[in-house]
Amino acid sequence: MEQSGTSTRLQAAVQDLASGVVSALRGGGHAHVVPPVGTDGEAGDLALAAVRVLGADALLPGLLSRTAPDPAELAVFRKAVEAYPPRADAAPTVRWSHWAMARTLRRADPSSAEPPDEPDTAWLDGATWQVLTHQLAVLAPLALPGEDCAVSRLAAGRPVDVARGFVRAVRRRDWRQAAGAGRWLTLLPGVPDTVGLESGLDFVELMGGQDPLVALQVQAARRMRTGAGV
Amino acid sequence: MTAPADAHRTADAHRTADAHRTADALRTAAGDALAWVDSRRADFALGEDALAADGEVDRSWKPLGELAQVCATVTRLTEPADPLHARARELLDFAWQETREGELFPRLQRLEPFATYPLEVYAAFAAAGLRHPAFEQAAAVVARTRGWRLTEQDPTRRLGVLRAEERCGIHRFAQAPPELPQTWLGGLPEPWTFGRDAGYALTHVVFHLGDWGRDASALPPDLVAYLGDWLPPWLDTCLEAGLWDLGAELLAVAATVARTTGEDAPAGDWRRLLAARGPSGELPLDDRDLDEIAAGPGSDGDRYFLHHYHSTLMAAFAAVLAAARPAGRAEPAAAGRRPGGQGAPS
Repeated sequence: MEQSGTSTRLQAAVQDLASGVVSALRGGGHAHVVPPVGTDGEAGDLALAAVRVLGADALLPGLLSRTAPDPAELAVFRKAVEAYPPRADAAPTVRWSHWAMARTLRRADPSSAEPPDEPDTAWLDGATWQVLTHQLAVLAPLALPGEDCAVSRLAAGRPVDVARGFVRAVRRRDWRQAAGAGRWLTLLPGVPDTVGLESGLDFVELMGGQDPLVALQVQAARRMRTGAGV
Repeated sequence: MTAPADAHRTADAHRTADAHRTADALRTAAGDALAWVDSRRADFALGEDALAADGEVDRSWKPLGELAQVCATVTRLTEPADPLHARARELLDFAWQETREGELFPRLQRLEPFATYPLEVYAAFAAAGLRHPAFEQAAAVVARTRGWRLTEQDPTRRLGVLRAEERCGIHRFAQAPPELPQTWLGGLPEPWTFGRDAGYALTHVVFHLGDWGRDASALPPDLVAYLGDWLPPWLDTCLEAGLWDLGAELLAVAATVARTTGEDAPAGDWRRLLAARGPSGELPLDDRDLDEIAAGPGSDGDRYFLHHYHSTLMAAFAAVLAAARPAGRAEPAAAGRRPGGQGAPS
């Protein structure tokens, strides 16, 4: 019971954090989306865990608007990177998500440590378009303009497959996956025009946008389509 | 150490062996499906009410026409010595006898001169060379009226009627029929707007344009590219939802497209479809369980037939199209828009 209660509270904390990011991406004034360091006890632990779950996207608004991060915000983000290193047996997406956070930290604060070496992409060798899209949607924080890592290079080689995965996700009403795939599609060269990405993102937002994790990806995709850089 | 050229040869050999295995499995599936259809001849037979003013066309002429349509394609794509060919030919002859060698078509026309379905059903027989000249002349008289040409139908159905007119020598139209852009598929819609109704509309556009698999080259290149891109997610989600009938039609579309592009049959999708078959090779329409179907009107046998005949015909049609492909296949490297088969841009 206790565990499931914690899990529910963590999910709520992630949703709150994501809502803050969405609001900031929309220009709604919430520049600071990460809760302050020093929030002690369970609330502080939850806040930190929520940053780890949301990953590099916790700092996305500042990254896209090229504004210097708030020192307090940066401190929490750094703490989350340090508090949750991937375990030896961690799934590839967990490793990559952590790598993306370390990379973002370095971008936001060049005095931070170099990010660790990139994990590999062997687990995606020969992956079906369904698996590929699911995994890329989980790793949507890596979908950034100008990002050059093994995952983004692999995605760039399979634009039609990611577009197929987007179609599948919409058909299955998996709005989170659709939104993550849609964010990748805004960046990939060679996506068939017939996919209708702009109206597709509007549709995903219409159907699933009440979930801040969906709205976050749609907003990120829109910002990147309008030319926001990193 | 294996030299790269040897590795390529080995990979090609594996691929060819896989393709042959798939083709064999598909031919077996087509044979089983047609055997089931053959065992249900009595259900395809026209009943007393075939010429009744209030007859149920969907339970009489429609199944018979669909049987003729599929068998006409099977006989075209198989060799005369092939058991599949022989079975399809016998079923065609049976169906033609049911129409009393076409004699019932003029009688049907007298009952409903401006209904298009008699011509549409007749065209399936005419495609296999089974013709009734007096009916064709009578149909041409009606088809010359403005009223016939203005029959209000959805664009996909209209395309089918135009193809039927062409088949019966009433008139010919240009390569790109004017109705095409009005159809869901012809407008190249966003692929995520696909749904069940759009799916049935698009499969029939492809069937009409490609003359039920007999003239795949009639598909415009932009449609071939569009279908090549988006059939995989449509198939995947229809099969996941247990929409076996639509899944079979989409596999027939994939096989039609592959006759142009030379792509391999989607083995995984085929496995899922074939796994849904009943004990005698028949394929259900969808995932509804038989208890639910049993609650409908009619006898158990009727309901079972109506829940299986169309999807089983479509599975046979798709399997024959897909299995016939290697005979005239293009080299994938030359014809494929996306080499590598992983959706990489060319």
